[in-house]
Amino acid sequence: MASSLQELFTRRVVLITGKGGVGRSSMTAALATVAQRKGVRVTICDIGDDPADYSPLARHFGRDRLPSTPEELVPGIKGVVLLARSGQELFLKSVLRSGTLARAALSSDALRRLLSAGPSFKEMGVFFQLLTLLRAKRPDGGDEHQLVLIDMPATGHTLSLTGLPELLLKLVPRGPIAAALKEGQSYLNDPKLGAAWVVAIPETLPVSECLELLAGLQKTGMPAGGVLMNRVPLDPFSAAERAALQPSIERLNPLGAEGFRRPVLAQREIHRLRAGTKLPIFELPELTPGATLISSLADAIGKIS
Amino acid sequence: MSHEPVRIGELIRNRKVIVCCGAGGVGKTTTAAALSLAAARAGRRVLVLTIDPSRRLAETLGVARNPPTPVAVPADRQTAAGIHAPASLDAWMLDPKLVADESVRRLTKSPEDAERVLGNRIYQQVSSMVAGMHEYTAMEALHRLVNEGRYDLVVLDTPPSRHALDFLEAPRRLSGLVDSTALQAFLPRRDSLVARAASKVIEKILGAVFGDEFAEELVSFMMTFSGIFSALNVDVNAMRTFLSGPDVAFLLVTSPAPETLAEAHFFQDKTRELGLPFRGFVLNRSRARNTSKRWPDEAALDEPSPEARAALPKLQAMANVELAAAKRDLSLLTELEQRAGSNATAIAVPELPEGADDMLTLLTIADALAAS
Repeated sequence: MASSLQELFTRRVVLITGKGGVGRSSMTAALATVAQRKGVRVTICDIGDDPADYSPLARHFGRDRLPSTPEELVPGIKGVVLLARSGQELFLKSVLRSGTLARAALSSDALRRLLSAGPSFKEMGVFFQLLTLLRAKRPDGGDEHQLVLIDMPATGHTLSLTGLPELLLKLVPRGPIAAALKEGQSYLNDPKLGAAWVVAIPETLPVSECLELLAGLQKTGMPAGGVLMNRVPLDPFSAAERAALQPSIERLNPLGAEGFRRPVLAQREIHRLRAGTKLPIFELPELTPGATLISSLADAIGKIS
Repeated sequence: MSHEPVRIGELIRNRKVIVCCGAGGVGKTTTAAALSLAAARAGRRVLVLTIDPSRRLAETLGVARNPPTPVAVPADRQTAAGIHAPASLDAWMLDPKLVADESVRRLTKSPEDAERVLGNRIYQQVSSMVAGMHEYTAMEALHRLVNEGRYDLVVLDTPPSRHALDFLEAPRRLSGLVDSTALQAFLPRRDSLVARAASKVIEKILGAVFGDEFAEELVSFMMTFSGIFSALNVDVNAMRTFLSGPDVAFLLVTSPAPETLAEAHFFQDKTRELGLPFRGFVLNRSRARNTSKRWPDEAALDEPSPEARAALPKLQAMANVELAAAKRDLSLLTELEQRAGSNATAIAVPELPEGADDMLTLLTIADALAAS
């Protein structure tokens, strides 16, 4: 089984998931940079509630938020925020071929309220906007958005989105919604086209949540590509040096003690993860935060993919 | 108006509600649990209300995850934690689906009615995916529990979200739907020509989108659902008024990160705009106290073996990184203190052994919070 990080860049849609605080947005930005260096037309997305929302992903490209229609952020990398409302509008327009009916639908206050709160309608809107991106073609027939990378929200929301098609198809097995859901599934649930990658850091809670997330993804039929283990601390000490310093460190707990212990704890957590999943785990080094973080992280990813 | 400086230790002794807000992954649930422990240790009857909590926290407190109603932390753990009657600590780790089911049972006229709703396939599949449902159920639970008077203090750990105040905005979406007039448009109308025409258009749209058969089922579900939930009588505006009152304190839980200050600024502005009593920042995982740790020089070594000598510069390099981080966190705390002004406070909770959610750790944080 030759599973590699390289595969990530050959998919159509990749969900970047993981617990808050593990560097999901930075990882998405770095993966986009790698894709761009490989000459893949990449589009990055996050999921917003409101067009005015502040986006951590956009910040890596010098913006406060991603545009509501795809726009080039830097040469070779496009970005767009997936909004429930945009997706719902696109869907209504595509279903209600008559322009008058679509306009009437969108201006109906009651319908707007239903769409903003009705069960799973929000996820459906996001789902449909994603589908629209995946369908878009260039004049030459190639895919407009060759690789769509999505910076997913917290675990629960990720699973609502990946579990959406199966859930709704039970309720609405026929009709335009069913057709859109099945088309979406044909991308997301095909391991050649879609994948979820989990970002984690080698600490107890993130690794536990990573394992829970992997189990959840499997339940929703979403193929998982692997785990990107972010911020793995390098261990500069030899075994003999560790043994020599250990007693003093235990006794005094001086500055540097945390750094001394971290690589050992990190390896323990990585082992725990390996014991819990067969998926490949790619380790990425701890890097200095700042303006060069994304390109350094992209360099590190490039080296192992 | 008192001009005493705000202190967390005071808030846990005299407020009725403390709302912990914050982005995901900052240790919000742990902070909420520690605040509750501290208040119960100070003699109050306390409930910590949280959504989607970690398994570890439930284990630490010794309570089940997702029970239908609040449960008491087992007596031996309360005693061990220094909580003595009449003080008490209850925890409720809400499962939105269970809370919704519970509300249906409570608000329907007969058990048969309840079963009809609970058995509805749309309800079963997607009731927990009604947007704003988590926030709405948390709000409703808070409202009810505060009114019941069983607790002196309810500490609310808001649902995880990217934005600290989503919790306050989300129920509006649901209340817009639950508003009894909103869904009238989906019912066949006979009252006027215009209404009839409008409802025809909507019927056509829903039919085209969902298919005629399912559209009907959906509308009838939404009608039932909104009928029940409007009876919950959680007036979002009334809830806001209550949350703006003197018995309530809002805290922003945060951790040292480049965007912390921007987030703090946003939160403070937003609470001010909404007229909510912002009372402080809790900066978790602060390494500020490391500034007082010993420097690892040669004198610190037990037996300066050749290996230890060789490794020392590497340890010192790490010490430098830790010292720089400690100084950054210290200045971050100073900035938060300045920003907090006279109506609020800022407190740093030290970085704890990684992943520690055990009772001893919670008590350490609780004591630090109570003493502040």
